Amino acid sequence: MSDWYTLGVDLGSTTAKAVISDSDGRLVAGEVVQMGAVSREGVRRAIDAVLERSGLTEADIVRTISTGYGRKLVPGADKSYTEITCHARGAVALRPGVELVIDIGGQDSKAIAIASDGLVDKFAMNDRCASGTGRFFDVLARALEVDITEVSDLALSGTEDLQVSSMCATFAETEVISLLAEGAEKADIAASVHRSVASRTLGLVSQVGKRKQVVMTGGVAKNAALVGFLSEALGTPIELLDEPQLAGAYGAALLARDEYASGLLRDDADAETERQMAQAFASITPHCADCDGHLDGPVRAVALGLPAVGHPVAAL
Amino acid sequence: MPVEVAEKPATENKFNRMSITSVAGKMAADYWEDIFTARERGKHIVWYNGSALNPVFQAAGLGWCHGEAFSARLAAQHLEVPAQQAGEEYGYLGELCSYSRTHLGCAVLTKRNLYDQSQSVVGEDDARELAAKLPAPDFFVNAYAGCSTGQQWDAMTYRVFDKKLPLFNVSLPMLWGNKPDSGYLVGEEFESASAYVAEQMKDMISFIESQTGTPFDWDALSENMTYIKRASELRLEAMALCAAAPTPATYWDWVASIAPINFMPANQALVDYFAGMKAEIEQRIRDGVPAVQNERYRFYFDGIMNWNKLGWLSRKFAEYDVAVIAGRYTHDAFWQEPDLIDPSDPLLGMAKNYLICPINSGLGVMKELLLRRIDEYGIDGIAFHSTRTCRVMTNPQQILARTAERERGTKSFFFEGDVADASFYRDDLLETRLIATLEAIDAQRVRAA
Repeated sequence: MSDWYTLGVDLGSTTAKAVISDSDGRLVAGEVVQMGAVSREGVRRAIDAVLERSGLTEADIVRTISTGYGRKLVPGADKSYTEITCHARGAVALRPGVELVIDIGGQDSKAIAIASDGLVDKFAMNDRCASGTGRFFDVLARALEVDITEVSDLALSGTEDLQVSSMCATFAETEVISLLAEGAEKADIAASVHRSVASRTLGLVSQVGKRKQVVMTGGVAKNAALVGFLSEALGTPIELLDEPQLAGAYGAALLARDEYASGLLRDDADAETERQMAQAFASITPHCADCDGHLDGPVRAVALGLPAVGHPVAAL
Repeated sequence: MPVEVAEKPATENKFNRMSITSVAGKMAADYWEDIFTARERGKHIVWYNGSALNPVFQAAGLGWCHGEAFSARLAAQHLEVPAQQAGEEYGYLGELCSYSRTHLGCAVLTKRNLYDQSQSVVGEDDARELAAKLPAPDFFVNAYAGCSTGQQWDAMTYRVFDKKLPLFNVSLPMLWGNKPDSGYLVGEEFESASAYVAEQMKDMISFIESQTGTPFDWDALSENMTYIKRASELRLEAMALCAAAPTPATYWDWVASIAPINFMPANQALVDYFAGMKAEIEQRIRDGVPAVQNERYRFYFDGIMNWNKLGWLSRKFAEYDVAVIAGRYTHDAFWQEPDLIDPSDPLLGMAKNYLICPINSGLGVMKELLLRRIDEYGIDGIAFHSTRTCRVMTNPQQILARTAERERGTKSFFFEGDVADASFYRDDLLETRLIATLEAIDAQRVRAA
């Protein structure tokens, strides 16, 4: 049982994710909530659900960090980080040694290069177009009149490589409709669109440099066909996470944990210093009635590794 | 854990704009008012693009209209849309350089027989206002370095005006830097290209004489270049003072000061402006007044300015304690090598300054200059403005980003936008990339500590 817990919330364009970490950085519970669009109601549901799943209450949460497209809308967040930092932190924790994180969410896609110390080295993001993002697959599913959960299997069964533009999600939908009108097989269209997205993602990777240890995060990582096409395009295997959508929220929870722990160390140190100095002071001046609250001369912060204080210390 | 909904706090403006830039605004307004009425005062009018040929035009007694400058002005005033609509209506593609699209739209409106209000999407008042502003040209001069659109721009305007007005082209060769002795300001390629351009400028002056019927005033050109040289020296001295930390002035102040050095008349007022800028910077240093409150990051800006967003960007970067100090657009352009100018025999020095336009150099020189600026100003990060309709400025940016990272460990990010078309830009995308870069710089600092 941990003494304290932290909360990470990733408010994306289509889903809200919440993760609770314990004081050792273990993932206690995580939740993904589907939303129609970014909403405070959605993030509230995700937080409530993760608290319920973990058996914790808000009072157990000592620090909250938000991330994602809607990070500024997260209630009670102590701080925000970008999804780049959070996905990197989460991915490194889930797969130590990872060198490249490919995060494809509902609205944007990113390639994040990780330095050997686990920190972000460089990143690249898609431009304004939604091509290559989760939204792109929604468009595909609608045009093919299949459920979004079916597009991956459909793509894996495709055999023909059709030419599909990867430059614009809107125009891609038009292209898909044209291909259907020409009698192309749905499976071949789906496969071609996936190849196109893989190609576009490869462009992002080229901006940060290809690496060997690759992890994919974000909702699109659950699309096995895309992972396969992208892996083929990269020429390297892509590791899969159990819950790739939670990586960002978990990273946020870990950052909250790191920050709280470092603050706790400082608070403990301060408290211990005060206790030791109070003891020392009391032994020197057993009669405090005349004390004005100031101590002349240096005061040592004993054995705590803190810098010595060379000025009067007020009101011990 | 509190459960109240987090609201974005009202943002304080932490950018401390230099007060003298308001003088530049007044100078620019006066300049344009003067151009708008130049024909009424009997002046010949030249429309031109690219290099700062204005000292020549001034010596020839012309009224001169720099197309990019007028487009930038419209964009900065958020008045560019009707002109762009007119350009697109005429047939120019939406992805054509938005400087040229805006200016060509003005040309279409100015050439009234091309414009039928009953069939136009451009509002009547907007059309009338824009058409009434710029006086139609008597002739064109083009001297565009590096950019193929720029080199064709005046030819397009020439066609808008029925191919009936004279057009003179000055060819500025790209400084590829391929020869073994090539480098910044040195080498056979640079010397031969400079001589080639200077010879063309003599022909251009003969062309102007033939158009105006008036002998060219070479003494006036020497006088103009004396003012330009001194103004440029003061500008560079003032820029160098911004190596101080915190910086007393920012890239945004230099952007706001482009108009005077780029196309306004060469005179004592120009020199006084940059003397005043230097004095204000010196005063700020003496008083400990920073350009950005709590400066924690020092940035370089690569890309042409997004004129629609000058104020917003200056505040946005400052909000995150980022002082944007220098940039390729401001620091590697606009008479940036005054030592090359000999006012008594100015053409060769002018040609050299035109050639070292920041989009006209090979990658070797671009890398050298970028690294120099990083070192001079203690740059922590770079914002690359991926200017959507300016291919020439954006083409080398990925390589420059890699060079900065590899050679100096300097982090960078890219954001899309444009020089004069706000539709290519989104605030939230810039903000996310900026914050992510600051987080990466913080991580870098932790690592180094």
